[in-house]
Amino acid sequence: MREEMISTEGLGKKVEVSSIPLELKKLWEQDEASTNASLMNLLVYTEDPTKLSQNSSVIQDLTRDNACRAVLIAMDRDSDDVSIDSWITAHCHLTNGRKSVCSEQVSFLLKGKSLGRLRNTVFSNLNSDLPLVFWWQGELSDLFEERLYRLLNRLIIDSTSWQDPRKGYQLLNHARVESRGRLTIQDLAWTRSYHFRLALAGLCDDPIAQNNLNKIEQLQIIAQSNQKTSALLLMAWVAARLDWKLKDSDGNVFDFETKSGSSVHGALEFDDQGAPISQLRLQAADCQLDISRKRDSKYLSHSLQSKEHQIKVRGPADADDDQGLVASQLSRGGKNSLFLHILPVFEKILDSQYSA
Amino acid sequence: MSNPFREDLVSRNRPESCTVVIFGATGDLTHRKLVPALYNLAADGELPTGVQIIGFARRDWTDESFREGLEKLNKEVSRTGHDDAIWKSLASNISYHQSEFQDEDGYQRLAEKLDRIDQERGAKGNRLFYIASAPEYFDDILLNLKKAGLSQPNEQAAGCWSRVIVEKPFGTTLATAQHLNEVVNGTFEEKDTYRIDHYLGKETAQNIMVLRFANAIFEPLWNKEFIDHVQITCAEHLGMEGGRGGYYDTAGALRDMVQNHLLQLLSLVAMEPPTDLSADGVRDEKVKVLRSLRQWNTPELVAQNVVRAQYIGGTINGKEVPGYREEDRVNPESTTEAYVAVRCLIDTWRWSGVPFYVRVGKRLPKKATEISVHFKETPSVLFNALPGGVPDGNVLVIRIQPDEGISLRMNSKLPGTSLRMEPVKMDFHYATSFGKNSPEAYERLLLDAMAGDATLFARRDEVEEAWRFIDHIENAWHESEQPPEMAEFPAGSWGPREADDLLDRDGRAWRRL
Repeated sequence: MREEMISTEGLGKKVEVSSIPLELKKLWEQDEASTNASLMNLLVYTEDPTKLSQNSSVIQDLTRDNACRAVLIAMDRDSDDVSIDSWITAHCHLTNGRKSVCSEQVSFLLKGKSLGRLRNTVFSNLNSDLPLVFWWQGELSDLFEERLYRLLNRLIIDSTSWQDPRKGYQLLNHARVESRGRLTIQDLAWTRSYHFRLALAGLCDDPIAQNNLNKIEQLQIIAQSNQKTSALLLMAWVAARLDWKLKDSDGNVFDFETKSGSSVHGALEFDDQGAPISQLRLQAADCQLDISRKRDSKYLSHSLQSKEHQIKVRGPADADDDQGLVASQLSRGGKNSLFLHILPVFEKILDSQYSA
Repeated sequence: MSNPFREDLVSRNRPESCTVVIFGATGDLTHRKLVPALYNLAADGELPTGVQIIGFARRDWTDESFREGLEKLNKEVSRTGHDDAIWKSLASNISYHQSEFQDEDGYQRLAEKLDRIDQERGAKGNRLFYIASAPEYFDDILLNLKKAGLSQPNEQAAGCWSRVIVEKPFGTTLATAQHLNEVVNGTFEEKDTYRIDHYLGKETAQNIMVLRFANAIFEPLWNKEFIDHVQITCAEHLGMEGGRGGYYDTAGALRDMVQNHLLQLLSLVAMEPPTDLSADGVRDEKVKVLRSLRQWNTPELVAQNVVRAQYIGGTINGKEVPGYREEDRVNPESTTEAYVAVRCLIDTWRWSGVPFYVRVGKRLPKKATEISVHFKETPSVLFNALPGGVPDGNVLVIRIQPDEGISLRMNSKLPGTSLRMEPVKMDFHYATSFGKNSPEAYERLLLDAMAGDATLFARRDEVEEAWRFIDHIENAWHESEQPPEMAEFPAGSWGPREADDLLDRDGRAWRRL
């Protein structure tokens, strides 16, 4: 990659790798009014070096609500040179309008091929004892290896950016087993549907909706074409919760079987002019549940229509940008047990989509 | 079929959709706390779908004027800001019901209105009655709810419930609390009764149990062997502004704050580990603490262990402020305490001989509520044997408000060739570590009531045991022939000298906040 394409704006002071601890110490000593706060090590890794500066802006926003030691690593694996450059800076925010709370950031640009360098760069720049949250941007490469992931507490990925989500999930499953369940996986494709799930759960508190859940005939999800995995995860959640089994699929049409043996028609449609996920609809003979979102809208419209009555409510929508989704994940924490619960159904759906 | 989509979605008990009826809906609490809390839950997507809100009050308002007033205040006070679209969606489910609290017909009309709403919405008829009126109407409201058949859930709908939240003050003496409990339990079952103490909804109050029972390092030290004493302080720099003197002068610091909030905090600090995290599991342990409080049941014991005081004129933040008896709506000859300090002893195996000092007061130098756990000194060998000993013992401080957090004071060697020690502090601030705003206490508590989780609400026996302790002190002050004296302190100072003497007699001192 050409040097001039890589921006270092916002990365702060360029420092020697060997003097990072000393330079960080100096950084804090020069400003007694600030508080250095950290709840975790947040590591952002990309194999696209042009994203380094952009990731620094993302961290600037994320640290508003999530104090952390941020470590940004960009790898230029195609470079002929083998080198490592590093920068330090701090992102400061006023808390309650008075105290300046700062999170430190260390950035690295790693060029060329050198075995074990990513792992080593990660390990040598962590705040001890604090959890390690690793945000891997883009496809999982061969650098996602056991000695790295065994030390992670949380791995954030976005499977919508993967060419082959099935292959990616096989790798993740292997990592989860190898880490003896200690690794919590958070897929932004799953986070993207959080408020859709909350809204459907809310509508299904209604007795009419509940009485119709075992009579659902159709499930329809509309999403942008690049959000297919988000939509499939949402579909897997509905199917897992209602105990449906995938019998067959043809392209984006799915045939589920309920516990009582009846058939449910599932359809995934794409609308690139709409929101990332623009509609989730469950249709029974006497009841229709709809959750929809217009493009760029901050709200979801929830509606229940039945012969007996109608409900229309507005609620919050999920963030569209990665930083909003990551912030949302970090604020909830936990072991992502629901996600693990639906994985077997999701994997079956993935198999039906990508096995050929 | 239950709702399978709720499973594992959020890690809390599932709140159920209901109609919330607020009695005293034109008051400050509804406008400043309750409706903004419901709004914030809606904005965060946490409010169950289909929740209806009915304001019940005497004033001749309409649905529109009620909503307008609520919207105006919500714009001022809402934690998450005010979003017109979210408000519009919430407001479409808000209505007003005009009636006198004593008017039986008003409750019949309310019952019809509730049935109509349930029918229109296909709801099963869950009702949450929130009594936020003046306390003199509690009896009327509860009895009329019963007469109108509203205190019993709809028997036709499975799993349907009818619950009541009662605001403080829950009685003014043990006898009145017992009477109120009789009326409440004659109307609603105890499991459906939620006596609110908003301190328990605060993030740091909830964190006391997490701190104690989710960290291995504290609980082994949490007893008489290692803890010297505990202080609980609730300081308020405000006086009787905004007409609050009218109520306060009839209550006083002991009834207004100690009986409920501070004894609840004391229970959380002193309780044994519960067998589980169920509402009764936790409350069983809390009530044991209250039962074990040594009773100051003679005027002499009260004089030795309790200090009451009023402030005289002074200065706060550079501004002159009047004395308590000169405050608006306060009787110029008032004998109500605006400050109280109590030395509490808990007669249990764990806490025998460890005093818990509790103080609360108005017009103190700053606003702060905190619990400080003072550990015993190290043995008089090594550093403690040196001239001057170690500077201070270890203190663990749990800050309830403002600047919620936890700090631990310990001793450290000063850098240099000589051996000198200074206390240093490890400090955790919620706001610094978790940038996002904590939910307001009422948000959590309303959701808990909708979910049927009473853990953060006071149970009947807790309330009565707390009143039993308080009653002895009140009786000594107001019924005995030689009542303990009322002390004085200048506004803007840290309370009367007598309160310092209370600790000084034990060889201790109040923590400087």
